[in-house]
Amino acid sequence: MNSAIRNRLVTILFVFGLGIYALLPSLRYGLMDESKKSNLSDEQVDYFESRSIKQGLDLKGGIYIVLEVDLPQLINNLAKNKDSNFNQFLSELKDEYNTSSSDFFTVFESLADENKLKLPRYFINYGKTKEQIITQLSLQSEDSIKRVIEIIQNRVDQFGVAEPTIQKQGNNRVIVELAGIEDPERARDLLQSTALLELMIVKNVESTNTIIRQIDSIIATSNANNTQSDEIDELFDSGSSSELGFSSLLISVGGNLAISSKDLGTFKDILSKDDVNQILEATNSTILTSDSSIKLVNEIGEEEEFYTLFHLFNNAELTGGVIEDAQMRLSQAGVTAGQAVVEVEMNSEGSREWARITGANINNRIAIVLDKKVHMAPVIRSQIFGGGTVIEGLDSIEEAEDIAIVLRAGALPVPVTIAEERTVGASLGADSISKGTLSMAVGLLLVVCFIVFFYKMSGLIASFSVMWTLILLLGVLALLEATLTLPGIAGLILTVGMSVDANVIIFERIKEELRNGKSVRSAIDSGYERAIRTIVDANLTTGIAAAVLYQYGSGPIKGFATVLFWGIIVSMFTAIIVTRFVFDFVTSRKNIEKLSI
Amino acid sequence: MKFMENTKINFMKFKSFGFGLSSVLAFGSIIILLMGVNLGIDFKGGTAIGVSFSENVSIQEVRGSLKSVSLNDNLVDLSGEEIKYFGSQNDVMIKIKSLDNEPENFGQIVINHLYDSMYSKAPENKNDFILSLGSVSPKVGSELSGKAFWSVVSALVLILFYISVRFEFRFALGAILALVHDVIITLGIFSLTGFEITLSTVAAFLTIVGYSLNDTIVILDRIRENMKSSGTVMFESTINKSINQSLSRTLITSLTTLFVIVVLLVYGGEVIRPFSFTMLVGVIVGTYSSIYIASALLATIYQSSNK
Repeated sequence: MNSAIRNRLVTILFVFGLGIYALLPSLRYGLMDESKKSNLSDEQVDYFESRSIKQGLDLKGGIYIVLEVDLPQLINNLAKNKDSNFNQFLSELKDEYNTSSSDFFTVFESLADENKLKLPRYFINYGKTKEQIITQLSLQSEDSIKRVIEIIQNRVDQFGVAEPTIQKQGNNRVIVELAGIEDPERARDLLQSTALLELMIVKNVESTNTIIRQIDSIIATSNANNTQSDEIDELFDSGSSSELGFSSLLISVGGNLAISSKDLGTFKDILSKDDVNQILEATNSTILTSDSSIKLVNEIGEEEEFYTLFHLFNNAELTGGVIEDAQMRLSQAGVTAGQAVVEVEMNSEGSREWARITGANINNRIAIVLDKKVHMAPVIRSQIFGGGTVIEGLDSIEEAEDIAIVLRAGALPVPVTIAEERTVGASLGADSISKGTLSMAVGLLLVVCFIVFFYKMSGLIASFSVMWTLILLLGVLALLEATLTLPGIAGLILTVGMSVDANVIIFERIKEELRNGKSVRSAIDSGYERAIRTIVDANLTTGIAAAVLYQYGSGPIKGFATVLFWGIIVSMFTAIIVTRFVFDFVTSRKNIEKLSI
Repeated sequence: MKFMENTKINFMKFKSFGFGLSSVLAFGSIIILLMGVNLGIDFKGGTAIGVSFSENVSIQEVRGSLKSVSLNDNLVDLSGEEIKYFGSQNDVMIKIKSLDNEPENFGQIVINHLYDSMYSKAPENKNDFILSLGSVSPKVGSELSGKAFWSVVSALVLILFYISVRFEFRFALGAILALVHDVIITLGIFSLTGFEITLSTVAAFLTIVGYSLNDTIVILDRIRENMKSSGTVMFESTINKSINQSLSRTLITSLTTLFVIVVLLVYGGEVIRPFSFTMLVGVIVGTYSSIYIASALLATIYQSSNK
């Protein structure tokens, strides 16, 4: 063996060795049975997880969610002195932003110009000119997305998911990927709930009655003024009893006012009326519904769901910011014994406030409000020291656990909406893996048979190189810590098909040279020489397509592009260097007269 | 094994026929595309739900169950949405357009509704019921459409640039026209079969662009090589010779690629089917176009520039 051949052999063996080494953890981890896996220490699991080829959510099952910070809502929260002009602007802003692909503040600015909105009137705290205000508002939005990411990170950490991914996308989105989630509904609620905890004092019965009478009279006047209006007709068609006003929707249940679930839509419409809003603002109050409903049988014997209404002081006495810890417990005593509750502990400042509030409101009711839904409204019997409180009225242990998590992690500064979601059930993922593996095996077998049939011994050499293409490609994926997705598996199979191509180009050239009467040795040399140029040109263009795909794609598509790109590089290596070496090695040892090709 | 060796097929003789066929196919495809393509939720926004029942269900049954779904205390009729089987008759895929004022968790609400109303045929554990859930807001949909469009355009421009540098502009022109031809016809056939265009179909289209080009370049490379000895005189025969020389390679490679694609189509499962189908059509059209579009166009261009 001469030294040139030996050097090439060493290089090739080195690359093969590297490929096998990179692939070993994946193999060992993949073949390990479940009982052995559970015996691994945390460090070992970390080692295997980080060295193995990762499976994408479409294979493993899980949830991919893009949350978008509700920027119009943030603007609404930051604005002061809001009037009907501003509300009009805000609703236009929402519509415009949701249909355009421009940046939020570009839309904001052009729409503000269009409506001749005087920004300093609403945002005087953020600057005196339009430019200053927009700069400050965009800083605020950046700040809130940062906080949203932190809080979601906290929540996910406490929820306990293996390898969650949380990353920022653009300037108002967060991508959250949770693999192997069993209950996507629960995970979604956990991510999305704003978790704004407010402790609010319930207004007394007299002022509640006054406000209901006032709302009734507003409806009566608007009813009289707008008998022609279609919108109002519609409103009254949907709620048959509401012609009599607000009070007719309400029934009394155990000393509380309650509203039927079918009237909730009408109720929301009433509350969104400008006049009603003005009265509520003037009396510094708000009306919220309970979180859970009660089932009652109505006059005609049907079961109906009712939500309790609460008339509250609009200013929260305390908010979730003072919470130091929140834990789920099973209640030990009283009527709630055995039910899941959340015990909340406040920091020292919160405890002092809490003692002051409870002291000042003995015999009043205090409502515990989470995300604008009243969970309970107990009567304060005595002053509470030490900053502890308990949230009752939860449906299940899971709900209590999740509320405890979101309270500990903190409230989101702005609501978030789901811009994009892709959930794949574990069964579909497993199905895809088994089908993908089967396709790969069958595809590989067919290709090998085909080229051995055509090229005899040389076909065997090509099969050998295709097999190594696959091994090395998987090794590269493991080294890159790339994620294997279903399109990625398709890419692997496609690489098998296409990596044969380089071999075919070379073999056809060699055959041609042989036909032209060259010797085996020189046919191989000139065949390779001429084929390389073609192979590089042809593969580079596919490489360009793969690179573009990688740039633009998300998740599964990126996985495909990665496989395609590295597939090209690896298959060029095996076809040009590895098979060439085998040919050279064989022909250097004895003088072959006839090539089996 | 001897396969397609020393063939002397006069490909360019059928050049006009090839142009004619391509024009008809491309024109037909454009008409199909103008009549409307079936865009998936990725580009249009909306919600797609895959659920798995424990026994066979009929589409009518599912449609009936979606007649009144309670959303935000309103009853909504979703029975007009697209409902179809997904692989087997146990599994159903439902595609719902974006609604105005769509509640949060809309997809989950529909899943819960189906689970409750068809309880007797649903699996015990609700988590086994959910195969997949995808939802894309119209805003994200329009962003993804824009990205997809620009990715295809930028891939074509980059490739045009690359070939212009490596060969010459006249070669690049033929190659790019062949690519556009492939994409349009594949898109047309794809739409005709009722598959919907999703992110992974766009990926398949870009792969076709790469593949078809691969094929084209192998032939163009030969033409360039043969031109060195014979010049541009008798250009058609040079092209014929080049195509014949690379014919066995073209066919063998296309066949191996087709093998694996057919395997994917048969065994790869429902999720990957639109992808495999696109590749199947694309590889066939791509192989044809390397000969009858890229090479034949080159012949026409040279002839007209030599006159």
